[in-house]
Amino acid sequence: MNSSTPLYALHERIWHWLQAASIIFLILTGFAIHYPDRFGLFGSLARAVRFHSWIGFALLVNGFLGIFYHFTAEKYHHFLPRADDFTEAAIRQIRFYLYGIFKGEKHPLETDPRRKLNSIQKITYLLLLNVLLPFQIITGILMWGADRWPGLFNSFGGLWVLGPAHTLGAYLFLAFLAGHIYLATTGSTPLSLLRAMFTGFEEPSRG
Amino acid sequence: MKREGMCRVRFGRITAFWTSIAILSLFVNAPGQEPSTAMPAASKPVAKLPHPAIVLKDEDGHNVLESGKPISTRHTCGDCHDYDFIANSFHFQQGKTEMDRALLTSHGVAAFNQSPGMFGKFSILPNRQLTGLDVKDVADFDMSQPEWLTKCGVCHTGAGISEFDLQGHKFLTADAKPTGPLDPSYSIRDREKGQVVPWDWNKSGIAEADCFLCHTPKASRGARKKEMAVGDFRWANNATLLDTGIVSVQADGKFIYNRAAFNQDGTVKPEALDLSDPTLENCAQCHGFTARSTTTIQPIQHADIMRGTEKSGWIYNGAKISDTVSPNVIGKEKMRYPWDGHAAKGIVCIDCHFSVNNPGRMIHEDQKEHLLYKPSGEDIAVYLKQPNHNFARGNIPPETVNINAHNTMRGCADCHDAEKIHTFLPYKSRHFQALACQTCHIPSVHFWAYRSDDWAFLMDTGGSRITYRGIDGGIVDPESEVTGYSPAYMTSPGKDGNLQIRPTNLISGVYWFDKAKGRPVFTWQMQTAFFEGLPANGEWKYRPEVLKAFGDKDGIIDIPQGVYDTPEKIALVKGLLQKYAAVEDPELRIEITPWAISHSIVGKDQAIRDCVLCHSKNSILHRPLDLDTFLPQSVPVTFRGKQARVVNFEGKEPVFDNRELLSSFYVVGSSRVAWVEWLGWIFFAAVVLFSILHGALRLLGGGL
Repeated sequence: MNSSTPLYALHERIWHWLQAASIIFLILTGFAIHYPDRFGLFGSLARAVRFHSWIGFALLVNGFLGIFYHFTAEKYHHFLPRADDFTEAAIRQIRFYLYGIFKGEKHPLETDPRRKLNSIQKITYLLLLNVLLPFQIITGILMWGADRWPGLFNSFGGLWVLGPAHTLGAYLFLAFLAGHIYLATTGSTPLSLLRAMFTGFEEPSRG
Repeated sequence: MKREGMCRVRFGRITAFWTSIAILSLFVNAPGQEPSTAMPAASKPVAKLPHPAIVLKDEDGHNVLESGKPISTRHTCGDCHDYDFIANSFHFQQGKTEMDRALLTSHGVAAFNQSPGMFGKFSILPNRQLTGLDVKDVADFDMSQPEWLTKCGVCHTGAGISEFDLQGHKFLTADAKPTGPLDPSYSIRDREKGQVVPWDWNKSGIAEADCFLCHTPKASRGARKKEMAVGDFRWANNATLLDTGIVSVQADGKFIYNRAAFNQDGTVKPEALDLSDPTLENCAQCHGFTARSTTTIQPIQHADIMRGTEKSGWIYNGAKISDTVSPNVIGKEKMRYPWDGHAAKGIVCIDCHFSVNNPGRMIHEDQKEHLLYKPSGEDIAVYLKQPNHNFARGNIPPETVNINAHNTMRGCADCHDAEKIHTFLPYKSRHFQALACQTCHIPSVHFWAYRSDDWAFLMDTGGSRITYRGIDGGIVDPESEVTGYSPAYMTSPGKDGNLQIRPTNLISGVYWFDKAKGRPVFTWQMQTAFFEGLPANGEWKYRPEVLKAFGDKDGIIDIPQGVYDTPEKIALVKGLLQKYAAVEDPELRIEITPWAISHSIVGKDQAIRDCVLCHSKNSILHRPLDLDTFLPQSVPVTFRGKQARVVNFEGKEPVFDNRELLSSFYVVGSSRVAWVEWLGWIFFAAVVLFSILHGALRLLGGGL
């Protein structure tokens, strides 16, 4: 591997951090909407709702830019699991997380610009980006459009369906975020993966 | 010289101009007119054309000045206006024209009611029931038509039910005959004898439409009440004119006419009668406290006037609350805003509750023709001949009166463009669809209102136990502290049929229901069960069984004692009702009656704007308004005619629980789906715990 080639290109890093910032902001504003009396970070519920809507659309735009980039740069394959990502590779990865990591074993996947994601990451991102994120976007847009398209909004069950559904999705995102941040410490050093997402370059594995 | 002359001319013109202005301003503030500070500028009286001078005629069409007989409005007013057309409307019929079983059923009115109106609908407040024509047994006889007139006729504007029997025959005519001894149009229950006795219509006379009650600013409701209460119906309309100077009462109680109030030609002086559109004060006589701008809200005698105010506490008054002299409104210093924003702007009752065929006010909705306004209105002459007296009205729970005229008035949105002014509010349409405007614009009530009326246990007055909310002390005591109250919230269909959340008072009623007869137990039956015979010197004497079960150690039953706190007490009274009042299958019931509030509107500075008040765990939309402290537990609870779980007995005192009523509304920040919350937090906690555990093991294993 050419050491001058970054693991994460500048576009990817910007995309990632914009995505991260958006999701964190959405979770915070979401809390301000879901618990307005206990989470008054944004001053008022109305303001939290406005912020939530704007950031939601920013995330949507960022999502489209991400799709555009990954397709035009032919990098979408990073997110596509192969058959063995569901079987052998997944088992190896799970074994590493549950056993090998404590023994100081080498990471089962030596990342390089052509193979950045392990099988668990691929499966997780496949579900996250193709199921959970669109689910949140669709339920979010339907709720945002409650005033604009009340018929469509009501045809999906109105707030009694969309509200809890969006909330459940938000909890899943929150859980993902917690796991994602923790797993980011499982690189060669606790901060190596985080640093890589800033600099683009990952330190060599300790193993 | 010429220049000097021009200067003089100019100076002279300027001086004359300012002098004129000064003189005009003197006339504007001339004596006899209200000082400008006492009345908001917008509420200055509008110039009006006086009604032509009229002759007051008697039933024979003769001038009353000559005959000395009672005024007949059928002849006096009916010569120009279509008396029968006018009298066929709700104010005169009070529900008699709506005695239609199918109509009642379609509006969810319980089967034991005769009509949806005041004449025929049971209400827990007076606990009286109009007796129908089908009654065959004296035990089923409660309130007859003549008794209704003596009790409720003061507000009823005459004609209709005080001119015609339940079969539609005009009293005192050849066709008017009772169908039997229990015909409720021709008899009355004699409380002393406990029998149904004939009513003498020849003696009482009939009460024709009391046009003066609404169209004469100086109408005397009190004098009218006196005549109606003693059954002297034929003189009731004369009594209404007592304060105009047209009539006087002699020492023997007879009315005479004062010649000074009449012109030489026999017509009554227009300034004495002062016929006009109904003023705020006219409507206030029966509907609730209404005034253009006053700092004194008179103490109110129970069951007399201001029924709307009593039921929910609204005050329609343009004066600022902070300026109130009486009653003693606690915290008024900070309430530097009017009792009602509309009143302060000079809006009067008929601006909204207008005659629906008044060409100047009528709504020309014709959605099929896509017209918002149709300029070709009804001819003014037609209107003057046949003014529709089914006035425009809304649809406020629990009212079913004038059921065919619901939602005929302009709604808030017909005058206010809410979309334009609620710039702070996200999801405007959703809010406007889910919330009645009153929900935010009546955040609190600054007056007192009924809280409970308990007819299930009679006090030694022979009547019910009444409690009020929003006042510390007696309601007629000017020293009492008026604390007001914060309303509860209920749902009701808006004009478009969608359910809306709206503020309401709640009146808890406890009463016995006769399951065998399918109606509430009558008051006279309750009195028979509770007391030994008739009252002596106005004091009812409890039966020994009642005293033993409910009395304190001194044998006194005060408010805290007269409660159904054990099944044994309920069983005892049930037995008494069966034994003494022949009530076959009595059942103790609770009725929670909402009285929605539509007046006492505040402007944007006082309206609810803080989102968190509604969008939070302790949302005010689920405010647990206190109910009657002594509500019995484990008895059926009805709310708007249906059994409903609206009382929460879990706390110190029973409170209103509207979770079931508002269950169709998902309020962001307040509504929760429990399994979603649990699942979400469990998932998140599992990931965090796994991460902590995993990290700790890495740390211990040297993996970090």
